[in-house]
Amino acid sequence: MAIISFDSIIKDYKTGFRKKKTALKDFSLGIHEGEVFGFLGPNGAGKSTAIKILLNLIFPTHGRAEILGKGVGDKGIRRFIGYLPENPYFYDYLNPLELLKFAGKTSGVDSMKIQERTEELLNTVGLWNERKRAIRNYSKGMVQRTGLALALIHDPKIVILDEPMTGLDPIGRRHVIDMILKLKSEGKTIFFSSHILQDIERVCDRIGILVNGVLVRVIDIKSEPLGKPLEDIFIEETEKAGRAKE
Amino acid sequence: MIAIWSVASITFKEGIKNRVIFGIFIIALLLFAATTVVTTLFMRDIVKVAVDLSLSTVSFSGLLTLLFVGVNLFGKDLDKRTIYMVISRPISRSEYLIGKFFGLVMLSLTVVVFLGILSALPVIISKNFYYYSEARFNWLIFFLAVVYIFVKLAVVSSVITLFASLTSNSFIALVLSLVTYIIGQSTESVRLLLASQVEKIEVSPVVSYMVDAAYYIFPNFSAFDLKTQAAHGLSISPSYILWTGLYAVFYITVAVAIGTLAFRRREFP
Amino acid sequence: MRSLVISILLISFAVIGNVFALNAVSLEREKLRKEEGISLVMPSAVARIAALEFKGIFADIIFSRAMTYYGGKLIRKEEMTGEEWDWIYKNMALATDLDNYFLDPYYFGAMNLSWGANKVKEANALLEKAVKYRDWDWTIPFYLGFNHFYFLQDNEKASFYLMESAKREISGSLIATLAARLAYQGRRTENAVIFLEEILKKTDDNTIRNSYEMRLNTLKGIFFLEKAVAVYQDRFKKQTEGLDELVAKGIITAIPKDPYGGKFYIDKDGSIKTTSEMR
Ligand SMILES: Nc1ncnc2c1ncn2[C@@H]1O[C@H](COP(=O)(O)OP(=O)(O)OP(=O)(O)O)[C@@H](O)[C@H]1O
Ligand SMILES: [Mg+2]
Repeated sequence: MAIISFDSIIKDYKTGFRKKKTALKDFSLGIHEGEVFGFLGPNGAGKSTAIKILLNLIFPTHGRAEILGKGVGDKGIRRFIGYLPENPYFYDYLNPLELLKFAGKTSGVDSMKIQERTEELLNTVGLWNERKRAIRNYSKGMVQRTGLALALIHDPKIVILDEPMTGLDPIGRRHVIDMILKLKSEGKTIFFSSHILQDIERVCDRIGILVNGVLVRVIDIKSEPLGKPLEDIFIEETEKAGRAKE
Repeated sequence: MIAIWSVASITFKEGIKNRVIFGIFIIALLLFAATTVVTTLFMRDIVKVAVDLSLSTVSFSGLLTLLFVGVNLFGKDLDKRTIYMVISRPISRSEYLIGKFFGLVMLSLTVVVFLGILSALPVIISKNFYYYSEARFNWLIFFLAVVYIFVKLAVVSSVITLFASLTSNSFIALVLSLVTYIIGQSTESVRLLLASQVEKIEVSPVVSYMVDAAYYIFPNFSAFDLKTQAAHGLSISPSYILWTGLYAVFYITVAVAIGTLAFRRREFP
Repeated sequence: MRSLVISILLISFAVIGNVFALNAVSLEREKLRKEEGISLVMPSAVARIAALEFKGIFADIIFSRAMTYYGGKLIRKEEMTGEEWDWIYKNMALATDLDNYFLDPYYFGAMNLSWGANKVKEANALLEKAVKYRDWDWTIPFYLGFNHFYFLQDNEKASFYLMESAKREISGSLIATLAARLAYQGRRTENAVIFLEEILKKTDDNTIRNSYEMRLNTLKGIFFLEKAVAVYQDRFKKQTEGLDELVAKGIITAIPKDPYGGKFYIDKDGSIKTTSEMR
């Protein structure tokens, strides 16, 4: 039984008068409870599109997406989801404390717990000393770190991260890897997209490669060794899909 | 409820920390100071001039706050996608919109309370400077007019909420809100004009139907304008308060409800 | 370093140039103003729409602009032309259309148009509007009454407005007296009686009450006789020869007494008067 499931999803974006761009083409995928799933694909493949459908930010043109056995339109399930958007942007006159309070409150966490988690998370992402500064004075990486803390404030069962490492320094990237491993050890399900192959290889149970809106390959790296570098597989799959299109 | 309240309070916090608000407050204080100087140029009805200027300052500052800070609060959410951090939580699109509206209302309330209290100062000063014996002034009506400025701003907030939910661009929402404000301020006068001059100039029935339609579609902001009453201490009946209050509540309900309908199917790609 | 010097020089040059140019502009504007004279006055209906919620401020601005114009003329010791007075009147009318209760334009317009410009009709038009809106203010009908009495020699109207004024002004014994006298001479006896009764209701002070009551009783006597004369004329279709005739023909039983100690008589114009003249 998959905890996250995409069922034959087609997503068209309107790009002009009677023009459209199909970002996902009959996309189906199931992610199991407790696994770490890495989502790969070239720029514009449709990774963020798939993730936004899970958060009900956009609606599939056809098909159905479910989380915990319920349609993604059910707002109740979002209590159990932690989400980090790509290039996150927050209310920037506020500081992380205020943002985390908002995020915790709305996700049903009580005030005591919010304070506890806030201190813990801001220490993990290394922003505790900067906690009273408004986000507008933060660097790109600091904003990204704030986003990670926000995604985890309510101790979600399912963590969905869209390119969590972008903009982070090597130490920050290391922190994210550690964090993902820790979450996995706690039994959380993690679904994340990334362009950094070695990180994906290090933490993932399974990897999905999406090219041009089509899921071309899913590899279970825990049971079937890759045999060659992930980079080679990625390029191979991308080119194969490119040729098929022609 | 928690969802709506949380959205409202984070919207309010984000708005009140905006530097534009600070600028608006400074302008308001300067206008209050100018009021005390300007009133000395008049002969008898000095308190009236002071009330005109200070209440207009409160109203104008509230309006600036909503149009420049309030619209932008929506604009940032939709243009820069700060809305992701809201609706990726257990918050529906309707709750988001209603919360946002209440955030704007809280922002207006703060501006009106703060400036409304300060606006009494120029009036007190001019009253001590010269109070003509046949002038009438009443603090109760003065502060009632301040309350009505808030009511008007609440209606403006609902209009902004509606346009933000209908348009994809915050600049268009700003322009539409501004146009609505201007039309809403003048429909009553235009209607009176048509009613009073029917014999003198030929008004085609189409025009008068259009004016009537506009009167019902756009908020009648004149109903919330008690500045003249405050300036001359004219009494206001309880039924006036009842009906204008109900009118505001109904108008806001309609505007926000239409907004949530439009927003329910809105995508944020 | 060099660019800094150049910038500073440029700014200094521009600032000086700016001051010079602005002075020249002021002069040019002055000429322009003289040529264009007085500007058109916006129709009230348009102004009410254009002013949005700031009608009060608009009224303030329009009023003070006209006042400044008038003040400038006074300072330069220039005569106002009839056209300019009309302009002043239109501005005051506009200001009071924007704020119906605004005293200053009523007052300024009424005083200057009647005394300064001999445009009593316009002055009274403003004051009549003021009487309607500022319905608590005794000064407005007082001025209006005065204008009717002094400029138009219309005692009847004057008395009417003075009564209105006295009704509004609670302790105004003077106005009341004046109004009563005008009313008496203007054959509006009945109004004067009603008016004095009204005033009496509002007066607590005993000496003032006494003087009112005396005046009231006299007027009541006159009113009583006026009615009797009317009945007489109605019945006999001819003029009354004297008040005794009324008693003789049984229309009244006796001629009332004048509290001032005078005697009532029928004047040549047919009105009832008293030899005491209510003094
Ligand atoms: N709002 C939009 N309107 C039109 N087309 C869009 C929109 N958003 C995305 N697309 C198109 O949909 C396709 C998939 O975009 P998506 O953002 O999902 O890619 P991605 O896999 O996340 O890429 P990246 O690695 O660059 O983040 C792209 O071709 C893109 O041009
Ligand atoms: Mg992406």
